[in-house]
Amino acid sequence: MPDDPLQPDPDEDLVTRAQNGDTRAFDALILKYGEKLYGLVYNMTSHKEDTHDLLQDIFAKAYHSLPRFRGQASFYTWIYQIAVNMTLNFLKKRKRRSGMSLNELDSSIQLDPALVDTSHLANPEKQSKLHELQKRLNEAMLSLSEAHRTVVTMFDIQGLPHAEIARILKTSEGTVRSRLHYAHLHLQSKLQDYWE
Amino acid sequence: MKPSVEEIGALLALKRHERPEEGYFDDFLREFHHRRREEEVLKSGPSGWLRRASAWFSNLGASRWAYGAGLAYATVTALFLLAPDAPREQPAAPVPVHYKVAPAEPAAVEQLKALDLHPSSQGSTGEQEF
Repeated sequence: MPDDPLQPDPDEDLVTRAQNGDTRAFDALILKYGEKLYGLVYNMTSHKEDTHDLLQDIFAKAYHSLPRFRGQASFYTWIYQIAVNMTLNFLKKRKRRSGMSLNELDSSIQLDPALVDTSHLANPEKQSKLHELQKRLNEAMLSLSEAHRTVVTMFDIQGLPHAEIARILKTSEGTVRSRLHYAHLHLQSKLQDYWE
Repeated sequence: MKPSVEEIGALLALKRHERPEEGYFDDFLREFHHRRREEEVLKSGPSGWLRRASAWFSNLGASRWAYGAGLAYATVTALFLLAPDAPREQPAAPVPVHYKVAPAEPAAVEQLKALDLHPSSQGSTGEQEF
C-alpha cells in the first residue's frame, strides 16, 4: 500500500471520524492494519507476548496522538512509523535488560506452518530439511542488527517498496537499499551451510 | 553453497502468511477498550468516577427508574442505620441517704472485761504449786 502524495489517503474518512471521537472508526483502523503491524512486530521481536503488548501500546499511542495527526503522510505510513519506532525502542530496552537468548524467543516461529510446503508432505526428508532451513533462517534473522532486521522485515516479508520503507524510516532510499544489501549478504553467509 | 538473494527473498516471503490465531483481534479490541477506559478513569481521579457513574446511569434507559428507587431505598436505610442515636432520658441522680453510724464497742474489750483478772483468783505471787 504505497504512500502516493498525489492520491488522497484512503483512510481519510475513518481518521476524521476517529478524530471526532468515533471509537468504531478507530476500531476499523485497528482491524485494517492490525495484521500487517502484527507481522512487522512479530518478525522483529520473535516473541508472541511481546508482540501483543507492543501492539496494544502502538495503537494506544496512535489513539492518543490522533488529534495531532495532520495528514502530511498517509495514516498507514504514520502508524507504521509509530510501530517501527516503538519496536526499536523496545528491542533496545530488551537487549539492555537481560540479553535475551534465542531459547527465550518464541519457539512457534520455528515451526511456522506457513513455511511448510504441502507439495513436499509426501517427502519427509525434504520436509525435515525445510524445517531445519526455516529454523536457521529465523536464527539468522535474529542475528541481524535491529536496523537491518527492520528493512528485511518490511521489504522481504511484508513486501513494502523501497520508497515506502524510506518514508517510514525517514531515511533515503539509498540507505534502505544499502541496508538490505548488507542484510542479504549476512543471511547468505549464515545459511550457506544448510543450502544445497 | 550460498543461496542467492532471490532464494533468500522467496524463503522470507513465505513468512508473509504468518498470522495470529482466529479471533485474536476480537479479543485484542476488547482489551484495547478496557485498557483505555481504565486509563481515562486513572487520569481523571474521583471526578472521573462520578462522570462514569452518571454516564452509566443515563445509559440505562427505562430501567433507570427502578435503579433510582433501589438506590434511594438503600440510601434511606443506610442513613437510618448509620445516624447517631437520639439522646436518651438521663436516669435521676441518686438521693443521698444519711445514716448515723454509731461505732460498736469492740468485742475484744468486752471479752477482756469478762475475764477475772484479780490476783486472789490467780494464786500468790512467787508461790508455785507443783
